[in-house]
Amino acid sequence: MNKIRKSYVPFMKAGMQNLIIYRLNFIGFVIGGLIYCFVMFYLWRAVFASNGGDAFLGFSMTDMVIYLFLSNTTSQLIFSSVSNEIGEEIRDGSISMRLLKPVNTDLSYMFTELGTVFMKLVVLLIPMILGLEIYRYCATGNVMFNVGNFLLYLFSAVLAYIISFRVNLCFGFIAFYVKNLWGIGILKNSIIGFLSGSLIPLAFMPDGLRVCLEYMPFASMSYTPVMIYMGKYGTYEIIFRLGLQIVWSVLLYGLSKLIWLGAIKRLCVQGG
Amino acid sequence: MKRIWKIYRLLAAQNLKRIMEYRADFLTGAVSFLIDQAVGIAFIFIIFTQIPQLAGFTFEQILFIYGFSQIPKGLDHLLADNLWCVGYFIVRKGDFDKYLIRPVNPLFHVIAETFQVDAIGELVVGIALLIYASPGAGLHITIWTILLSIIAVPFAALIYTSLKIITASLAFWLKSSGFIIQMVYGMNEFSKYPTTIYSLPVRIFVTYIIPFAFTGYYPSLFILTGNNALFNIGGVIAISSVLFVISVFIWNKGISAYESAGA
Amino acid sequence: MIYAEHLRKEFKKIVKEPGLKGSFKALFKPLKETVVAAEDISFHVPKGEILGFIGPNGAGKSTVIKMLTGILTPTSGECRINGKVPQNDRKNYVREIGAVFGQRTQLWWDLPLQETYLVLKEIYEVDDAKFKKRMDFLNEILELEKFIKSPVRTLSLGQRMRADIAASMLHSPKVLFLDEPTIGLDVVVKDNIRQAIMKINKEEQTTVILTTHDISDIELLCDRIVMIDKGKNVYDGSLHELRENYGQTRELVFETDNNSKLTEEEFRKGLKLNENDLVIESDKNNFKVRFNSRKLPVGEMLGYTLSLTKVKDISVKDADIEEIIRNLYRQGEKSDE
Repeated sequence: MNKIRKSYVPFMKAGMQNLIIYRLNFIGFVIGGLIYCFVMFYLWRAVFASNGGDAFLGFSMTDMVIYLFLSNTTSQLIFSSVSNEIGEEIRDGSISMRLLKPVNTDLSYMFTELGTVFMKLVVLLIPMILGLEIYRYCATGNVMFNVGNFLLYLFSAVLAYIISFRVNLCFGFIAFYVKNLWGIGILKNSIIGFLSGSLIPLAFMPDGLRVCLEYMPFASMSYTPVMIYMGKYGTYEIIFRLGLQIVWSVLLYGLSKLIWLGAIKRLCVQGG
Repeated sequence: MKRIWKIYRLLAAQNLKRIMEYRADFLTGAVSFLIDQAVGIAFIFIIFTQIPQLAGFTFEQILFIYGFSQIPKGLDHLLADNLWCVGYFIVRKGDFDKYLIRPVNPLFHVIAETFQVDAIGELVVGIALLIYASPGAGLHITIWTILLSIIAVPFAALIYTSLKIITASLAFWLKSSGFIIQMVYGMNEFSKYPTTIYSLPVRIFVTYIIPFAFTGYYPSLFILTGNNALFNIGGVIAISSVLFVISVFIWNKGISAYESAGA
Repeated sequence: MIYAEHLRKEFKKIVKEPGLKGSFKALFKPLKETVVAAEDISFHVPKGEILGFIGPNGAGKSTVIKMLTGILTPTSGECRINGKVPQNDRKNYVREIGAVFGQRTQLWWDLPLQETYLVLKEIYEVDDAKFKKRMDFLNEILELEKFIKSPVRTLSLGQRMRADIAASMLHSPKVLFLDEPTIGLDVVVKDNIRQAIMKINKEEQTTVILTTHDISDIELLCDRIVMIDKGKNVYDGSLHELRENYGQTRELVFETDNNSKLTEEEFRKGLKLNENDLVIESDKNNFKVRFNSRKLPVGEMLGYTLSLTKVKDISVKDADIEEIIRNLYRQGEKSDE
């Protein structure tokens, strides 16, 4: 524990500083996300209006708003840029420098990123939750904030982050084979956006597809925590979903390790 | 003019050669944008499994609007992609120097330098959607509507390019303006759907301020209804021209504020 | 030909204190500082001259070059080249100049070199016949044939620099700006590039402005030097004069079998120099003489030493340019007081 504090906390601080230095990019990113949410909001409003009803597959318009904004925020919170970083480092060869440092490579990436995750938690998630609860109060007249669900959400979001980190790590290694990281990034984001349900709630998808997606790791990345927060799951389902997240974290950990070992071999062949 | 065309052709040919060299990269890029598109369409498809109409438009009509909006977007993406790099790093790293010591208009030079074939994803999907959706969308087809909407396409693309020029120019003052380009460009999401679904302030915003509504909805509406050519098509031409003039003005101001890099 | 009058360029810079706290501070209250990269620089260069434009790192050389080439707009002051103000008539102005910035290439990274020249041919509107003649000429002086078909990214630094110089020369510019064209190159390539610059200057009366940290570049090429430091002129004149005035110390190192006989005292007596003008250091095989070359020409010192002992090897060290500049600047400070 002490070793972790000494060796990795500096990485975390560096991560926090990075977010401040690149704050403009970050703000752009956040505003971009919000714009997208608003487009979706209007779209759903029109969908609800065309449907003529208040509820839609168990989602009210209020639910939809919370779902849209919270799943967007959650995606940003657990967003991992490790695939870009590792890709860049592979491309310019500086990855060999990282291997020279006497720390665990994965963890050094992770802690750098945890710094930014922590900042996002403070400046992004908390205001968003506050805003959404105020909105919910105005829309329904009731305070519906549930501390238990919120804590479970946070726990689930941590697991989501670990999954996101591992998935991105695997994507990063594609840089060994393809130089077009920009294209890969777009591909990755749209795949994750769709499969994780942050674009459209998985509940709205055709049944077969829905069940399939719910078991994939992508659903664990924002759909699960958001559904927990919204109280859409009962106790058993919550336990099941969290268990699924844990299983995926372990599996993806193994997968990324395997790829990493293969990658190091390739690195030696290329001569760095 | 002839010289400009010749330079452009030379650079574009070189770009194509490069793409042939990095074939895997080109494929990744094009496939990525295709999948990005597929996801967007799947979204519309899923919505329409639940409702028959959206804001009074049928599935085919919404697809038509969506498809139309992708063509100007792809065109700009194909031809003027290098502006992103100006905003993100060309200015910050001082690499803009080389455009200033050549006897060619720097804006033209920057734009001519890349020919972004990734855009095929958007163009192919856009055209495919138009073809697929046209029969069922109840288009108002006359020579006029077809001619005018084809004329509108390059102007609509010019809206994209002008907005990118303006936001990229800010890098001359801010060193890096990638995030602003990203932000403004991201608003093109608004162009994919009928503006009637938005509330009034948003509608005014996407019509007159960041006029992405003119890159998709309005021109499509013209082919769908045949009405109001002056606003739906004339608007595209007028707004894009004004925007372009403004963008060139800001760009030129930016060049005199350019600080290069290093001492 | 080239007139620079009181050029001044300021930059705004955001200062940040170190650490996380500093980052937070900068977030809410960015501190802006004005940096003066060039304070007051004036000089002029007649047609056909090769001017060495020198100064220590951070003196403002590149800033001035960038103002002269029209890349930067001066905060105040004016430059005119061939009667044109670069910023006012940029497009026509840059037709008449060529520029090489040693630290970064202006070639297209992925294009084969030959294709780059074809694009430049169109950009500068060089007609076919002229282009062919020009390429032959550049090929001859810069030896481009070996790598002209390779993509730019695969060239070595020396090849790339030759390629860049050729690119800047393609349209027969009247003025050539070379910002550290020999940086990081080996002796052979340096020599090749110097020869090329000389030839171009001689055959076409091209005016050249050259910045460098390598004093041999200046010795071999420049008729005159302008030296700046901290954004101000500190010297304008010939290299010879500069040496005369400021860089009189020379160092000779001899490798001998036995140097026990060679003492400082004997040298001073034999050459009639006092301790300010002559210092000797010696160890077992090496024997180092530092002396004032104004009092005694290098040749005489060599002859004298050779007459005393058998010498296996000799090396001559110049007062280096950085040292001269330091001396100059110190003098400048003194005269301010």
